[in-house]
Amino acid sequence: MNNSPGSIQRLLVYLGKIEAGLLLGLLLSMILLAVIQIFLRNFHGTGIIWAESLVRILVLWTAVIGAMLGSRKGQHIAIDVISNMVTEKNKRIIQFSVNLFTAVVCSIVAYYSMEFVWMEYQDGGIAFASVPNWLCESIIPIAFFIITIRYILLAFAALKEEVPAL
Amino acid sequence: MITALLICLVVLMLILGAPLFVIIIAATLIGFSSAEVDLSIIAIELYRIADTPLLLTLPLFTFAGYILSESKTSERLLQLTQTFFGWMPSGLAVVAVISCAIFTALTGASGITIVALGALLLPALIKAGYNEKFSLGLVTTTGSLGLLLPPSIPLILYGIIVQQMNLGQEFDLEELFLAGLLPAALMIILLSVWVVWNNRHIKIEKIPFSINNAVSAIRDSIWELPLPFFVIGGIFSGIFAISEIAAVTALYVLIIEIFIYREIRFSQLPKITVDAMQMVGGILLILGVSLAFTSFLIDAEVPTILFEWIREHIDSKLTFLILLNIFLLLLGAILDIFSALIIMVPLIVPVALGYGIHPLHLGVIFLANMQIGYFTPPVGMNLFIASYRFQRPITELYKATLPFMFVLLTAVLIITYVPELSTWFIETPEK
Repeated sequence: MNNSPGSIQRLLVYLGKIEAGLLLGLLLSMILLAVIQIFLRNFHGTGIIWAESLVRILVLWTAVIGAMLGSRKGQHIAIDVISNMVTEKNKRIIQFSVNLFTAVVCSIVAYYSMEFVWMEYQDGGIAFASVPNWLCESIIPIAFFIITIRYILLAFAALKEEVPAL
Repeated sequence: MITALLICLVVLMLILGAPLFVIIIAATLIGFSSAEVDLSIIAIELYRIADTPLLLTLPLFTFAGYILSESKTSERLLQLTQTFFGWMPSGLAVVAVISCAIFTALTGASGITIVALGALLLPALIKAGYNEKFSLGLVTTTGSLGLLLPPSIPLILYGIIVQQMNLGQEFDLEELFLAGLLPAALMIILLSVWVVWNNRHIKIEKIPFSINNAVSAIRDSIWELPLPFFVIGGIFSGIFAISEIAAVTALYVLIIEIFIYREIRFSQLPKITVDAMQMVGGILLILGVSLAFTSFLIDAEVPTILFEWIREHIDSKLTFLILLNIFLLLLGAILDIFSALIIMVPLIVPVALGYGIHPLHLGVIFLANMQIGYFTPPVGMNLFIASYRFQRPITELYKATLPFMFVLLTAVLIITYVPELSTWFIETPEK
């Protein structure tokens, strides 16, 4: 058993690469699918029935994975007025508490969105083609879970005056 | 009691710099749990991102913009505008204004213009004989100039947010783009006039027009030249939906930069994608959680209360507009344009409608003010980007941008008090 932060971080580095690859794949399929739809619609008068739903789910996934990646270095939009006014030491304490707060809030969202996905799973609704709703929605709890972990790491990294690898 | 303490904690965290999406989630959670609503509603509301067809345009246009800014498009655009406008008095400065406006519209007003184009323009301006302070101010200011031109991302975002609200006064994105055209032109013209006037006594090297240069500039950018025409023409001709234009633009840009200009390598794609989608993801996350927060606010009838309160204190449309301008300028100075739009539009639009302001006009006012916010001290984003990119202290940039700010403020005042600039094409103005 090796549960040191080092191995968690290494795992997150790999995860980051997977996310990047996934993101590129999602984006390219989004572009291609939309362009194919245009051709089908304008030149054949047809279209793939479920394409529009799929594209919208792709937008959701791209956005959420983008947000996951954005939490690697804590690059989310924030109001930044205090950080230039305090000492280096206080800045670290502020960062620790802010990141911890973020992790707590995101873990609450992860929990409740998992509950939502579970309800949808039992409900058994279909999003498009034969893809069930819960599968499309499952990215939400996953993302908030990962964001939680990343912000916990960021919080402790802020105390140790080091920048985490990812 | 506990609720009050929690609210204090959230406000404290906001000031200390917690991510905005977290603050909004926390506020929503507190709101809904005190109203005893099941908190899974957060996930349900977030999932509404997948219910908004137009959102597709945001990742696509942003991706296209990032690809363009990673390739040498900025150099070619500069070369092109220089051959056609360089012979004019203060030609290069006017070139800066025009090329920055086009580049910002195409790349989505995320500060990229300063990095990609400003970095080329600044040394060129100084070399041509312009005052250094003037040049710095110019490139910092024009970094957000194309905000009102299609397909600017903030403009699309405003349209999407308002459409979500079911106001009963519908407009489509085409009309919004149309509304932005004249105000954008006004800003460009005022800035150009001021730039020429300001440098009338300074001896500046002109670039004479030559047909050879023109031909070679056009030949160099032949593949990118159709882009603005395709986007603008496509939008206004009504043949394609905007999401279709976005998809074709993204694919076209990807193909020309990889296979024809060969300035983007396949190996760069993951990094560009991550950079672009990190930005889109950040914005859409805030949008998603704000949908939840807004529906809580509506449940709690906050917009109605707000409107009645404002109504009691402000009776004329004019006073309202003046206060709106001041408020938006302050807002733009502390908040980035995307969060400001997402958070404030649902609150401001119903109030403004009550004063008889058309939502199209309001959108233009909103963005025009926010554009100035980009370089308003203390935290305007352009100031930081320029300070970082050009290695100048931020206080120097405060001073350098000040005269430009007055010019654009004049433009904003005209835009605000002459609604016809934004709504001239609407046949029956509501009164």
